[in-house]
Amino acid sequence: MSSTDELLRVEGVRKAFPGVIALDDVDFDLRRGEVHALLGENGAGKSTLIKVLSGAHRPDRGRILVEDSETLVRDAQHAARLGIATIYQEFNLVPDVTVAENIFLGRQPRRFGFIDHRRMEAEAAALLERVGVDVSPRAKVRGLGIARLQMVEIAKALSLNAKVLIMDEPTAVLTTEEVERLFTIARRLREDGVGIVFITHHLEEIGALADRVTVLRDGRSVAHVGADTPEDELVRLMVGRSIDEQYPRERPETGESLLRVRGLTRAGHFEDVDLEVRAGEVVGLAGLVGAGRTEVARSVFGADPYDSGTVEVLDRPLPGGDVNAAMTAGLGLVPEDRKGQGLVLDASVEENLGLVTLGPTSKAGFVNLAGQRASARRIAGDLGVRMSSISQHVRTLSGGNQQKVVIGKWLLADSRVLILDEPTRGVDAGAKVEIYRLVNELTASGHAVLMISSDLPEVLGMSDRILVMAQGRITGELSAQEATQDAVMSLAVAAGPRSSTEEHEVEGHDGH
Amino acid sequence: MATDTGKSGGTWSALRRFLLENGALTALAILVVVMSLLSDDFLTAQNLLNVGVQAAVIAILAFGVTFVIISGGIDLSVGSVAALSATVLGFLATVQGVPIWSALPLAAATGVACGLVNGVLIAYGRLPSFIATLAMLSIGRGLSLVLSEGSPISLPDSVAVLGRSLGGWLPVPVIIMLVMVLVTAVILRRTFAGRAMYAIGGNEEAARLSGIRVKRHQLGIYALSGLFAAVAGIILASRLASAQPQAAQGYELDAIAAVVIGGASLAGGVGSAFGTLVGALILAVLRNGLNLLSVSAFWQQVVIGVVIAIAVLFDTLRRRSGGGGGAGSGADSGTNGSRRKRGIRLAVAAAATALVVGALSFLTPNSGTETTRIGMSLSTLNNPFFLQMRDGAQAEADEAGVELVVTDAQDDASQQADQIQNFVSTGVAAMVINPVDSDAAGPPVGGANNADIPVVAADRGVNEAHVETLVASDNVEGGRLAAQELADAIGEEGRIVVLQGTPGTSASRERGSGFEEGIAEFPDIEVVARQPADFDRSKGLDVMTNMLQGNGDIDAVFAENDEMALGAAAALSSRGEEAVVIGFDGTPEGLEAVAEGTLYASVAQRPAELGRVALRNAIAVVEGESLEETVMVPVEVVTEENVDEFG
Repeated sequence: MSSTDELLRVEGVRKAFPGVIALDDVDFDLRRGEVHALLGENGAGKSTLIKVLSGAHRPDRGRILVEDSETLVRDAQHAARLGIATIYQEFNLVPDVTVAENIFLGRQPRRFGFIDHRRMEAEAAALLERVGVDVSPRAKVRGLGIARLQMVEIAKALSLNAKVLIMDEPTAVLTTEEVERLFTIARRLREDGVGIVFITHHLEEIGALADRVTVLRDGRSVAHVGADTPEDELVRLMVGRSIDEQYPRERPETGESLLRVRGLTRAGHFEDVDLEVRAGEVVGLAGLVGAGRTEVARSVFGADPYDSGTVEVLDRPLPGGDVNAAMTAGLGLVPEDRKGQGLVLDASVEENLGLVTLGPTSKAGFVNLAGQRASARRIAGDLGVRMSSISQHVRTLSGGNQQKVVIGKWLLADSRVLILDEPTRGVDAGAKVEIYRLVNELTASGHAVLMISSDLPEVLGMSDRILVMAQGRITGELSAQEATQDAVMSLAVAAGPRSSTEEHEVEGHDGH
Repeated sequence: MATDTGKSGGTWSALRRFLLENGALTALAILVVVMSLLSDDFLTAQNLLNVGVQAAVIAILAFGVTFVIISGGIDLSVGSVAALSATVLGFLATVQGVPIWSALPLAAATGVACGLVNGVLIAYGRLPSFIATLAMLSIGRGLSLVLSEGSPISLPDSVAVLGRSLGGWLPVPVIIMLVMVLVTAVILRRTFAGRAMYAIGGNEEAARLSGIRVKRHQLGIYALSGLFAAVAGIILASRLASAQPQAAQGYELDAIAAVVIGGASLAGGVGSAFGTLVGALILAVLRNGLNLLSVSAFWQQVVIGVVIAIAVLFDTLRRRSGGGGGAGSGADSGTNGSRRKRGIRLAVAAAATALVVGALSFLTPNSGTETTRIGMSLSTLNNPFFLQMRDGAQAEADEAGVELVVTDAQDDASQQADQIQNFVSTGVAAMVINPVDSDAAGPPVGGANNADIPVVAADRGVNEAHVETLVASDNVEGGRLAAQELADAIGEEGRIVVLQGTPGTSASRERGSGFEEGIAEFPDIEVVARQPADFDRSKGLDVMTNMLQGNGDIDAVFAENDEMALGAAAALSSRGEEAVVIGFDGTPEGLEAVAEGTLYASVAQRPAELGRVALRNAIAVVEGESLEETVMVPVEVVTEENVDEFG
């Protein structure tokens, strides 16, 4: 009886890469109709485990049983035939092709050798309905919001008659509301008997969705527990020690005004934004995804132009659309899209750390290589970047360490005001705390931080003041004392005075 | 003995590790070993310097392209910009009489200006680099033709020095190439501009948000590429002592190949000066070696393509399995896996080497017998006329029992110079040269003169150097005859058009001027259009179609060769129009068309006879006979009446 219920079993799996043992003696099992969460810090081996399950990696030792028979998952196609579908963080969708074709890519139903569009679209529509997403099968994938892309991926997995659905951090990029929709779908699939493996960094999601939890630490499976295990206990299992303080904010005295923004407007993106950041302060910028927070940050920093308003740093006005002027004045931006905008992935840690200071420290056009290397070493040491050497490519670092490198380049430039856009997205619990400590150190030494975050507990825990944005406008300001999740959320969904919200719907953030 | 092998094993493994880490260098080493095994002439100091000279132009172009490719772009215009800069130099120094110390900087400035235009279009006009530089490829080529009026401009001696050797042995182009590689390396490694190229190519948005002024850097990058192209153009022209408007065609692709063979990624962010140098040397060693081995001109192109693919494949394999450092892409690991993988890699390398060696020895005609060897460099083998010339020469060689080595210059004066240089180093008894350009053939033939190797010019003369004799048919006279025949055919009155050959070639100039001279005697004949169709049949068809569209009915067409004439005839018949078409050359197809009445007439040159006579003279001079200064091979108008006497 129990044997028929078991979809997947992993016993004593070991996987080594040159210099690293990614998995060591890992056990794991998945039953029909359950959601099994995989928990662990970045680098604990979660990604390697799901790659073993989906055939991307072959284990060096140990065995994998698929429905009770020992199987070597050869590759992704083989995994698909076994009924194992995987949705990675980076979606495997072709942007300029329709939703229906993406779902059936490579398996399009054919008639007389030609693609049978009508049948394909009908089948796609049925799948999309089962997932419960309102997207036309004929829509191009480009232009769909991230949440819908995910739903299309799920529909694609269902089209393979997947019995096992593996999702790598599916909620990392979703808003609270979108997460809830995803969970509804997951629950429905669970009722249909699908086994779901799901990775998350958000502990509260475990209680909300999962049935069981396997905790990985340093490549070993350290615990198999029920989803009702208290969060503190889960954290302790994950990091091997307890984190007494998740948000170790220390609030120094605030000083002079470092950054002042007045009436900043960019048509179609944000309107009449006022904000001020003082020395020693952390100002949180909260709101739903698409509220215009990132756009404001980019315009303040000069990465994008703006139509009207003023930006002043240390009481001196800053010209618009000029990154270099902003940098010289003392602003720094840690962008939301770390890999796409923050890092040169195939360059070394040293080069990435030196990116901002490269120009200013050059003499007569020649780079000060020795100086660059010395300061990169120093800052990498200060930040505790875990790397094999200063010349390691940043692509091979974990998310947390990559983020430290992005922050590090601005520390080297000694920026007075650092704009952090989603600084801990995709960063594990241990590294998060290290980043928070860094924020403390910065503000203690008279710097200031403007922090955009969709992680409400983080905003509440780390900010001294919180500005909330909705539909391109600042809808309210809360002090650390008066801020609660409910207070922030009610401001975040507040309807702005602007009647037209077209741009937002076009951007594809699920409407209300 | 045992200790000996142990020691050499240690050195060998260190060497092997070094070579594996430098994929392109490994390929170069393999090539050099293979070439020196197959040819005794390869590994001599003189020949290695030749390889250096032959690599110089592509290498310098490729250094410029390296900047562009590292920053994530592509530059297709470098060949044209090189030709334009050289033409500007020739125009200023020779035509305008500008002193050389100001003409050289102005030529360099031309390259920079072209690069800046590319940069502006790409950085501020937001054109894709492929498109912007493709446009510049055409613009640069066009401007250099406009400026030179299609003819090569000979350069003053003070410039030609740049193409010669210091102290009689150290070639200036090699020195300049080495200086440029150092400059490139310093820019890439040591300067802010260079480091910014890597950052921009790696992630443009991250670079911008880190305060790197991407647009300004792009301007600089393309300007630098233009500057390097200008330097390459000047070297190219000075080596030939002539600025050729048609020079360096297709060199942009060789340059890109050199950069990619050298390990750069077309996606940007990766590449090095040293790698590019190795890439350029691989191409030069290949061309040189294949010449020395007398591999058939057609197979050479195949071999070059195969080696480019193998070189890059080798590098990719190395990178995928090599010290990527836990990229986690390898499916196998552990000592077993890596040993197996290393085995596979070595097997691939061995197989590739065996393939190249095997192919080359297969393609190499049996040599080693003590027969007289005569070299023949033809301007192109992409045209039946020259094929017939080759066949005539080959027939004569077979009869006389001498070995004939034929090379194909692909209408590129610089490649022809390389081939002549290679004939000199393999020590042929004599050579027959069919120059791409009479001026440009001067310096390399001068080199043959210095080595006391007699040279016979075929079809076109060689300027500023000594040739034993010129075997040619009289193109000017042929043009006149064609004009006369055409006038008779249409009753000395009517509207006619002229299809010209490749602008700037001597054949086109001479035939054209003979025809113009002849037709001027008939005042009632109006030449309504003259357009170039590059001696090419399909271009002839297109151009003729356009001219018919633009000029209405015409009575006759003169095409400067048979290929274009056949194209024109096809254009006429597809529109259901009739006109007298006269071609030139008397190729087999042309004669057949005359017999069928598709062509009215062709001025027959008897190319096979040309080749035969040229080779006969070359053999005669080897045997110590003295020759006439010129040997004229008769030209004759072939019409339906007398076509049976030909072919």
